[in-house]
Amino acid sequence: MVDTIVKAEALKAYYITKAYGVERTVKAVDDISIEIKTGEVYGLAGESGCGKSTLLKVLLGDFQPPLTVVEGSVSYQFEGMSKDATKLSEQDKRDIRWNKVSYIPQGSMHVLNPVRRIQDTFHDFITTHKGTTKPQSFEMTQAYLRDLGLPEKVMRSYPHQLSGGMKQRVTIALATILYPKLIFADEPTTALDVVVQRGVIQLLKDIQKKENSTVVLITHDLGVHANLADRIGILYAGKLVEEASTRTILKTPKHPYTQFLINSLPSFDERSAKEGIPGRPPALDHPPSGCRFHPRCPLAIEKCSTVEPPMLELAPGHRAACHLLTDEVNHAAG
Amino acid sequence: MKLLRTFVLPRIIQYLVVIFIGITLTFLIPRLSPINPVDNAVGRLSAFQTMAPEATVALRESLMDLYGLDGSLLEQYFSFWKRVLTFDLGPSFTVFPTPVSKLIGSSIGWTIGLLSLSIILAWVLGLILGTLAGFFPNSWWARTLENSLIVIYPIPYYIVAFVLLMAFTYYLPIFPLVGGSKGAPGFTWSYISSLLYYGFLPALSLILGGVAFRFIISKALTSTERSSDYVRFAEMAALPKHKILFSYLIRNTLLPQVTDLGLSLGLIFEGALITEAVYGYPGLGTLLLGAINSADYNIIMGITLLSIIGIATASLLVDLSYPLIDPRVRYS
Repeated sequence: MVDTIVKAEALKAYYITKAYGVERTVKAVDDISIEIKTGEVYGLAGESGCGKSTLLKVLLGDFQPPLTVVEGSVSYQFEGMSKDATKLSEQDKRDIRWNKVSYIPQGSMHVLNPVRRIQDTFHDFITTHKGTTKPQSFEMTQAYLRDLGLPEKVMRSYPHQLSGGMKQRVTIALATILYPKLIFADEPTTALDVVVQRGVIQLLKDIQKKENSTVVLITHDLGVHANLADRIGILYAGKLVEEASTRTILKTPKHPYTQFLINSLPSFDERSAKEGIPGRPPALDHPPSGCRFHPRCPLAIEKCSTVEPPMLELAPGHRAACHLLTDEVNHAAG
Repeated sequence: MKLLRTFVLPRIIQYLVVIFIGITLTFLIPRLSPINPVDNAVGRLSAFQTMAPEATVALRESLMDLYGLDGSLLEQYFSFWKRVLTFDLGPSFTVFPTPVSKLIGSSIGWTIGLLSLSIILAWVLGLILGTLAGFFPNSWWARTLENSLIVIYPIPYYIVAFVLLMAFTYYLPIFPLVGGSKGAPGFTWSYISSLLYYGFLPALSLILGGVAFRFIISKALTSTERSSDYVRFAEMAALPKHKILFSYLIRNTLLPQVTDLGLSLGLIFEGALITEAVYGYPGLGTLLLGAINSADYNIIMGITLLSIIGIATASLLVDLSYPLIDPRVRYS
């Protein structure tokens, strides 16, 4: 039996700001429910500004005002223990983070303290959760880097002495040093060139396989998803529009938005210019009524602009929210 | 050895070049000006008494000799360098024939004591308060502190000096009006306490503005650094607050601040002109002000040379100390 490790239920997280008496609400995560199973790699995809990073922040329980969870909950399920990620105390954070839940930040160059040697940064992170002495942390780091096939000499380096790809690999090692069960990775390969990307993806795969850990992978790059993810959730304008296994999403996407996304991927046997999705993603402070994709959807019918489509179960493990699919479901059911 | 050759040596050469150019300019500027200090002096002396024309010429010649204004520009330049290198800056006009080096020597200690103490104190206080206020931006004390220091900051330091002087020597006569100390100099408690007692108000007037300035800078630096990726990542990993504050925040905001401290210490030799004048403090500032008022060129030159050397030395020291505090400079 496969257990659920994180479960988000009817999650609504809004940025609520108030300036000069004008209140503005940005509905970055609007009524999203997902369940992630132990040991799987779950991919979240979508355009910039669709709420991917906000969803991640909430799933991690790392958010501050103006981001507020308005409704819903995120529950972590570890052996014999469950926690609401949106209500973690400082003590909970020390207990859970890195030990059980970890985070690999965007493939950015600045997550390592520029004036600290890598080994000291590792010690800071390890001792916070394990209370180790410096030599103990040193040994753990050394063993782990060796395990991952990273050169040990990086330990004595400062971040500026490492290449971008090495920095990202060191960051991944730093995030997973305590063998967390659940790893959130936010665009781990952006800003890296393809060759380095491949190495970083391989590293992530190895770590995931070795510990059978769960990875929630966020990236707009469907190529990375195709490589790593078991299941993919497609986000659009703060909503989950489709969710299925990677194979299903890539081969038989059902939601018009997903179809657009997949069709805009380049392939080798085709050299024609790719068709983009017309229009722009909506501003989330005033999302369109009804289905949020309807202004850009070529298949939209009248109902789409007024009634919000419900999430439909198309097949076991394949969900999508689109009015056009209602018939298909009814047909199958009938 | 490589470090010495590629890092230290070029900086020392640069330092010497800067001083050379500075001293040359100090030599040239007054000589290019249409006003001749000797004529000025002769004019002033002959205003009080009638002098025989021969006496005037003789006076003029001996003054020219005394101030190194004899011969061609090149000859003057070489003799100028000779005098600079032997610390013979000539006699003072107003306190003739006391040598300038002696006058500067007797005031320099006061200025260094007063200014280095107040600059360092203001730096440390402003840095600590500003960093804490940047780290806890929503606390009531951080806001109160910021609001009051922002009010103090734009007030010119000489206004602060006057207000303090009036408040604490006239309306509430707690502190002395003028001077630097009381009693015979020595390593005794009564002398040292009198130093602190006399120096308190001048130091306070300098520290207030200094703290306000440093506070604002530190708070801004801390707020920026707080939202940096590595601080956010450390917070995400639930690292203890003090660890984040010291090893992650301050360690990084410190870098530009150290430069600034070094450079402000280099400026000491100009003295705190107005502060010293307001409090009648016997330092370089008072000396310089008097020299400017009485056109005592040699003193002005002497203090100018000192501040050139001071600033150049401070920049050199800052430059040389940078690899110790910033690893990114170490290998480039």
